[in-house]
This record gives sequence, structure tokens and C-alpha cells, in this order.
Amino acid sequence: MASTAAVVPTQGLAPSKTDDVAELFERWHRHADPMAREALVRRFMPLARRLARRYERSSEPFEDLLQVASLGLLKALDRFDPKRGHPFSSFAVPTILGEMRRYFRDSGWSVHVPRGEQERALKVRDAQESFANEHGHAPTVNQLAEYLEVDSGEVIEALQAIQAYEALSLDAPRPGADGDAMTYGEAVGHEDERYELVELDATVTAVLERIPARERMILRMRFVEDLTQTEIAARVGVSQMQVSRLLRRSLDQLRALTQDTKKAL
Amino acid sequence: MTRGVESVCTDRRTGMAAPPNIRLDLSNRPENVVLVRETLAGVAEAIGLDAADLDDIRTAVTEACNNVVLHAYEGEEGGLEVEIYAMGGVCSVFVRDRGIGLQPHASEDQWIVGIGLPVIEALAHRVDFEETPGGGTEVRMEFATPGAQTLEPPEGEAAGFPNGVLGAGATKVTIAPVAPLARTVLPRLLGVLAARAHFSTDRISDALLVADALGAHASRSASAGHLRIAVSIEPRNLELSLGPLDSGGGRELISGSTVDGLGRVIEKLSDHLSVAVDGTYEVLDVQLIDRR
Repeated sequence: MASTAAVVPTQGLAPSKTDDVAELFERWHRHADPMAREALVRRFMPLARRLARRYERSSEPFEDLLQVASLGLLKALDRFDPKRGHPFSSFAVPTILGEMRRYFRDSGWSVHVPRGEQERALKVRDAQESFANEHGHAPTVNQLAEYLEVDSGEVIEALQAIQAYEALSLDAPRPGADGDAMTYGEAVGHEDERYELVELDATVTAVLERIPARERMILRMRFVEDLTQTEIAARVGVSQMQVSRLLRRSLDQLRALTQDTKKAL
Repeated sequence: MTRGVESVCTDRRTGMAAPPNIRLDLSNRPENVVLVRETLAGVAEAIGLDAADLDDIRTAVTEACNNVVLHAYEGEEGGLEVEIYAMGGVCSVFVRDRGIGLQPHASEDQWIVGIGLPVIEALAHRVDFEETPGGGTEVRMEFATPGAQTLEPPEGEAAGFPNGVLGAGATKVTIAPVAPLARTVLPRLLGVLAARAHFSTDRISDALLVADALGAHASRSASAGHLRIAVSIEPRNLELSLGPLDSGGGRELISGSTVDGLGRVIEKLSDHLSVAVDGTYEVLDVQLIDRR
């Protein structure tokens, strides 16, 4: 280790040109010049910061993420071999990402932070409901983005993600109008009797009978009564997103059943 | 011009003689990056790609697209063309612009601002940069996807886009093979575009149901082996053209969406349906309006 006494003129640290970077690495690696290292850290910290931002959607505090990314940057500075002729950033990015992945793994997280994604999806779902309650109709994506103060692209991706989430449990408590929590199961049980009567008028066909009563009820509300999904959501006591998912899933099942029936004939 | 990992582009050109499984013809507007990301998610579902691989591919492709959005046309509007190949254990994504082109020996800072290029190089198995004929740049990224299924290579180059309701600003997508891609890509495509047309979440979800119904039966009505989809949007209005379909294929698609007791799903949820004959083929036009 060279001593920190290796004083260099400060203007030599101006970290803007590639040549400077090579020189700084030389000074750090060969002479262990801490000022050269500091200059390198200053120059490449924006890179670490931008990589940390990538994971910001997770519920980890950003400062923690930045610290992990900085640690990765320091490791990359130590290990980088300028003689190989590659730019430092192409070495640093995988090193920093690797450090962040290891951190998430060690703290029991998946690398792709599904929890963050799911939290975002839940926020979008809840915002959709609050908006619909307040305004009496469903919001647009732009209105949701404004409401949540996020980019509309993020809302679009959250909406698509919700379609795939089986994790948003059917029995997750739903906020009732007066603050009472009502589960999906309770809500359906409550409404079911009425719809059993409707179904007695023999319009229900063999295929429809083969899916659960609650799905049948929602399909009927949308396609026979022509209610909007938000109206259905309010009646059934689930989110509109849930209605959307249930409609898609049951129509998918019906398609499969119809095909089977056709094949059997 | 090649950067990063060593490569033999000419060989790859012949190796990639088949048309892409998906081709997106978009404008370089920032909101189209989400469309590309969602299309990739649709491909991932079709080939059983795991979430980590999809995440890497989406991150790299996002950087390449952002570059086209921000820098390729120096503030002007221009084309963003994306091709996706998912064949032989490899997923390749080409991102192309017709803009100012790559300056030889440009530093990476000039090239892709910020961390774009290092991210692509870190995540892609291989990266090449080509100049496109007539100016512009093509970034070719190759990702190893060993666990994923492989799609059939599309046959030959398909005819032009169906003449329907399409304006010049339409979003155009070509997919082949129709099964399984129509089922996984169409809903994502329409979901994004309905959101952008200022549809309410109710009506966005209806668009998904229509897309599901179209996607489920499209392969039966499209014997040409590929499907072209063009979508034009205006506030609260989305118009979709789908073809080439076989003779009678348009009607078949609509009646195929029938659920006994509920009616024809596509007809119930859309505001206007028509079938146009385009030479020997048919084109189905579907219009969705949000009348709230």
C-alpha cells in the first residue's frame, strides 16, 4: 500500500476524458493513490446511482440500494483490468448488478422483486376503486397515473401484471362502503340467491352450467344485463380488476368446454 | 460495424433468413417502448420463458428503444422497428431506426447516453450494430434462452398490410406463427393501445376480452400462417384491422366467439364490426369506443 502522502495537483483529477480514467486506474492500481480512487468513484457514481434506481420500485429504501450499488462499484474499481481494452462501464455494470442481486438474495428477496411489483399492482387496484367510488365511473390510465403520481407506462404494466396475478387472493379483505371488510366469498353468497332465480328461466345452457355459479353470475351481469365492470365490482364486492380477471378466465374455460363439446359431437 | 462481443454478422444474416416471429412497425414516440416491452412479455408467455430471462431481455431492449426515442431522429418523429425471433434456443431482438445513423468511432457516451450500452452488453449474449441501408442503425441483440420452447420459423415474406381503416400513424404488428402468438400477444397489444386511447379501465378490460376471443380462434381463420394487425387510436376510439383471413374467416372469427346463453362475445363488446375483402383474403375490422 502506498502512503496517502502521494500528493497530486488537484487539476489532475478533472474526471472527464477517457485518458484521465486510464491514468486514474494506473494511479489507483499501481500506486494505491486514494485520491485517484475517489476521483473514479465520483466519476462513476452516477452509473451506480442509475443502476440502483432500477430496483427502486421495491420497498427497500433507496439509500440502502445505493449503498449496495456503491459497494459493487468499489469492487469493480478494484478488479478492473484496463489492459484488456474494454471500457470500465462494461465491466462495472455486471459487477454492480451482481452485487445488487446478491443483496436481494441474501435478504430473502427474489432478484426481480416481485413484491415491489405486486405492491404496485395492489396500489393501482386500490386507486382504481377509490377513483371509481369518488367519480362514479372507472378511471383512465392517465387519471390513475396522475392519482398515484407515477408514469402512465408504469400503470399500464401494473394493469397487465394484475391479469397474471393469482396471488391477489379472492379472499383478500375488500374495503366495504362503510369500512366493513367483506370477502369475495361473503359477497357472492349474499348475491347468489337472486341469481339462482334468474337462472331458472332456462336460458342457462349446458356449457355455462359447468362453471362456478359466481363466475356465471358475473358473466351474466356483463353480457346479459350489460353492466360495466365497475358496476359489477360494486355489486359483488370485489375490485374491477378482479372482475376483469374472472371474466377472462371463465370465458377461457368456456371456450375450452365448447371445443370439447364440439369434438364430442 | 460490430461492438462488444466478437461476431460474424453476414453468417447470421443467412442464418436469420426466415422472417421474424414478430415485427413491430412503430413510431419513435416514448409510449411505444411500453408496447415493445409488453409484446416481449407476450412472446415470453408463448415460449415459456422464465421471468428472470424476460426481465433481462426487456431491460436491454428498453435501453435500445430509448436510444431510438431520444437520439435517432434529433427530436423529429421517425420509425421504430422491432423484430423478435424466438427460434432454436435463442431469442434475438433487432431494434432499428432510420435516423441519423451511427457515427463510426463514436464514443459510447455519444452513442447511447448514460448506461444504455453497458447494460445491453452486460445482459445480451451477443450484440451487433449495423447501419441500415439508407441511414439509421440496427442494434441486434441475442439472448440465450436454453429452457424456452422454440417457435416455428415463419414461411416466406408476407404480403402488405391489409387495407382497412388504417391511417399512416397506425401501430402495425405482424405475427407468425399465429398460434400461439395471437393468444399471448394480442391482449397485451390491445391493452396498451386501449389505455393510450384514454379508455377507462372498464373498457380496457373489454378490449382484453375481445383480444382473447380473437386470439383464441385466429389461427383457424388465417391459413396464410401469419397475421397482420394494425391499430389506429384516437381519444376513446380504437380501430383494429386483422388479416389476411381466409374467405369467410371474418365471420368465422365473430361466430367463433359465441358462448351459448351469452351471445357473440366479440359482437357484444365492440361498437362496429365489418369484413372487407382484400383480393383473395378477408380483413376483419373491429372498432371499440368508450362511451362513458
